[in-house]
Amino acid sequence: MTSATASIMVSILGMADEASAESFFVSGRGALFGWLAIISVFVLVSIVMARGGKVFKVRPIAGLSAVDEAVGRATEMGRPVLFIPGIQDMDNVQTIAGLTILSRVGKTTADYDAQIEVPVSRSLVMTAGREALGASFLAAGRPDSFNEDQVYYVTDEQFGYTAYVSGLMVRKKPAACFYMGQFFAESLILSETGNSIGAIQIAGTAETSQLPFFVAACDYTLIGEEFFAASAYLSGEPDQMGSLRGQDLSKALVGAVLVLGVVAMTAGALVGGLDGVTGFFQSLVGG
Amino acid sequence: MVAPAAAPAHAPAPAAGAIKIVVATDCGSTTTKAILIQEVDGVFRQTHRGEAPTTVEEPFADVTVGVTNAVTELEELSGRRLINPDGTILRRTSPTDPNGCDIYISTSSAGGGLQMMVAGVVRQMTAESAKRAALGAGAIVMDTIASNDKRRPHEQIQRIRELRPDMVLLSGGTDGGDTKKVTELAELIAPAKPRPRFGGEYSMPIIFAGNKDAAAGVQKVFQHGGFDLSVVDNLRPSLENENLGPARDRIHDVFLEHVMAHAPGYDKLMRWSNAPIMPTPGAVGDILQAIARGRNINAVGVDIGGATTDVFSVFGPHFNRTVSANLGMSYSISNVCAEAGMANILRWVHLAQMDERELRNRVKNKMIRPTTIPQSLEALIFEQAVAREALRLAYVQHREFATNLKGVQQQRTVGDTFAQKQGGSSIVDNMALDLLVASGGVLSHAPRMEQTAMMLVDAFEPEGFTELAKDSIFMMPHLGVLASVHGRAAMEVFERDCLIYLGTCIAPAGTAVWGKPVARYTIDGVDAGTAQGTLLGGEMKRFAMAGDKRARAEIVPEKGFDVGAGPGKAVTREIRGGTVGLILDGRGRPLVLPSTRDECRRSMDSWVKALDLYPG
Repeated sequence: MTSATASIMVSILGMADEASAESFFVSGRGALFGWLAIISVFVLVSIVMARGGKVFKVRPIAGLSAVDEAVGRATEMGRPVLFIPGIQDMDNVQTIAGLTILSRVGKTTADYDAQIEVPVSRSLVMTAGREALGASFLAAGRPDSFNEDQVYYVTDEQFGYTAYVSGLMVRKKPAACFYMGQFFAESLILSETGNSIGAIQIAGTAETSQLPFFVAACDYTLIGEEFFAASAYLSGEPDQMGSLRGQDLSKALVGAVLVLGVVAMTAGALVGGLDGVTGFFQSLVGG
Repeated sequence: MVAPAAAPAHAPAPAAGAIKIVVATDCGSTTTKAILIQEVDGVFRQTHRGEAPTTVEEPFADVTVGVTNAVTELEELSGRRLINPDGTILRRTSPTDPNGCDIYISTSSAGGGLQMMVAGVVRQMTAESAKRAALGAGAIVMDTIASNDKRRPHEQIQRIRELRPDMVLLSGGTDGGDTKKVTELAELIAPAKPRPRFGGEYSMPIIFAGNKDAAAGVQKVFQHGGFDLSVVDNLRPSLENENLGPARDRIHDVFLEHVMAHAPGYDKLMRWSNAPIMPTPGAVGDILQAIARGRNINAVGVDIGGATTDVFSVFGPHFNRTVSANLGMSYSISNVCAEAGMANILRWVHLAQMDERELRNRVKNKMIRPTTIPQSLEALIFEQAVAREALRLAYVQHREFATNLKGVQQQRTVGDTFAQKQGGSSIVDNMALDLLVASGGVLSHAPRMEQTAMMLVDAFEPEGFTELAKDSIFMMPHLGVLASVHGRAAMEVFERDCLIYLGTCIAPAGTAVWGKPVARYTIDGVDAGTAQGTLLGGEMKRFAMAGDKRARAEIVPEKGFDVGAGPGKAVTREIRGGTVGLILDGRGRPLVLPSTRDECRRSMDSWVKALDLYPG
């Protein structure tokens, strides 16, 4: 190590020491830490309760309950089931949520001995999709019915993929179409094509700009949080159920504080003399 | 396609205008019941009834012996000769002939009635439609085989081999849809070789009501092996449509051709009859439909027996029937207690001295002597408590079965974002229910009409305005067949003689808080004149109102309560009286009884007093 390098290192370390001494705890953000702690407690306590055998009621999600109906329709009509796990890669949380739902759809398809087709637009999604679908067929006791070519790669190009899937829908007329993942402009094209061929369609996305299209064109739509809650809903595992409940409690608390805060701030602005109350709410959001 | 064979001939029926005197019988497993219907002053009335033991079994082994005996009783009571010297039913030779009848009709449930096995591709879709067709035709469905019923093929074959159905109804695939799985189902049934109940000398009838494209393949499977296949129109030509008529008609034909033709004496009975002999529950369903459509109302009928409970419903164009095979008041009483739980039964008992242990003892006694009837007030209260739970459970099963079609594409708008209702929701809507009809021993033979009414209200939880009635002598089967040859006669007898109107129940739907107001009421036309007041949560009131009386009821529900026009909205309408009168039920819907035994018992005690259910 040269002396110049050493002096640079010393100066950097010295700056780090000063910084850590000054801002390791940012006192103005204490409220956020408090929120983090509360949410963590909610989640952890809920998980512990779920592990202890406490059963949490989860509101039935119509879109997930309708999976049997959609696959049943395909079976009776002798047509395939189409599953689209969005157009994003495996680094996208919506794609992962979509593959969770693919597991459920795949198991139902295997139970009913129906055909399923999963065209994807990313190679990694194809690999993960094959794993998920294979496991579903195994869980259903029909590993022999699984063919990995049921999950196949088409193209990374957004509209090239959309054109392929639309053509496939028109040709094969699947009786059940699932759109689960992140979608953009292709959402309406796909769901309108599916609607025109008379398929039962179930969509799920957290992409708020695409939700109205799915809601209007599909039979059922998992909206935002429902989409992410689906894996807990489907698996029923204590950890996931507890986590879901903990998050819901946290959201309820945050919502209540927001409403009370708005009321207090409005009242404070209108009548004045509520500095203590408004100050309290400001401190809750670290303001 | 295999053309359906013609059903055995019955005697032709005269024109409806020429029918003035009708003899009808219902051949049950133990008793053959006969009724005489005559036109009196331009109106058809049931004038006499007789009964005799059914004679299907040895030593007689001829159902017509029992029929002749029952009709002979009619003859003795009416003074009208109805039997020929050779034992057949005598017909009138002219409109002025003082002897004989114009037509003779019959239903039958002897020998266990019609027992069927049904199969379909998807349990919730074509298999469910097949089950609906079979139940609607009056059959008992022994099992439902489906591709997704979670059983392995060898388990399904084993099950088919164990059953001895009268016939099999096979469905599956929409027209132009699946052919593979429905053919696979045929390939399960054919090697299993199900044997018919009545002897082995005739071929097992199979009715195929599936995808028309699969018919050829199914025929090929059943061409050998002693099957009698008939192909009818698909009962689910598309998933959006259900077409049960052809399958039901074919079931009736096969019932006559095979089941009845092989039962002792039925060939003779069929020749005597002027209309096809119908399975008893099928005939009950037909008359309920005729009444509901004639009066443009929604109706539910229940028949609670010793081993099973049948529930029939007509809501709009939809008719449904379910048979709860293990819910009954004698042979199945233990199962009712096991399914409902003793705590649920105990909640209907207002006697302080009756505890769970005593209930258990009573259940066991009933199991040892299932056909006994209550000999003491305590035994009656116990039996009626069990009946409430049996009826409640049967109705729950019925609501789950009577649903809209599943697998149908939904049309949405953006407005549906947060209200996406799933397909297959129940058709049964208690708020839309207009008429509730009770039959079966525990309901028909309750010592007081108030007890029948209370059992119906507690078990079915009618909402809004609902008329309550009971079938006086289980005449509905006779009238069901009569409706097929003379609709007006059937309707007139049903209204005047078959039904005993108990009255009207008005029950606001909503969560009631005990002691807090539920609704205000003004009833103009009860026996006492006008009744006015406030109905409180947990309260029941009864106003006497003679059977043929009509009153005008104005009900103003509190916020959160609904009597048919929406929460908090007043309803004024005409109501019908009856032997019980008007019942105002302020317990809320769904009905939630107090959770502690003491509170529950006190509440029940107050309702017993309000309706004067039991003496003392």
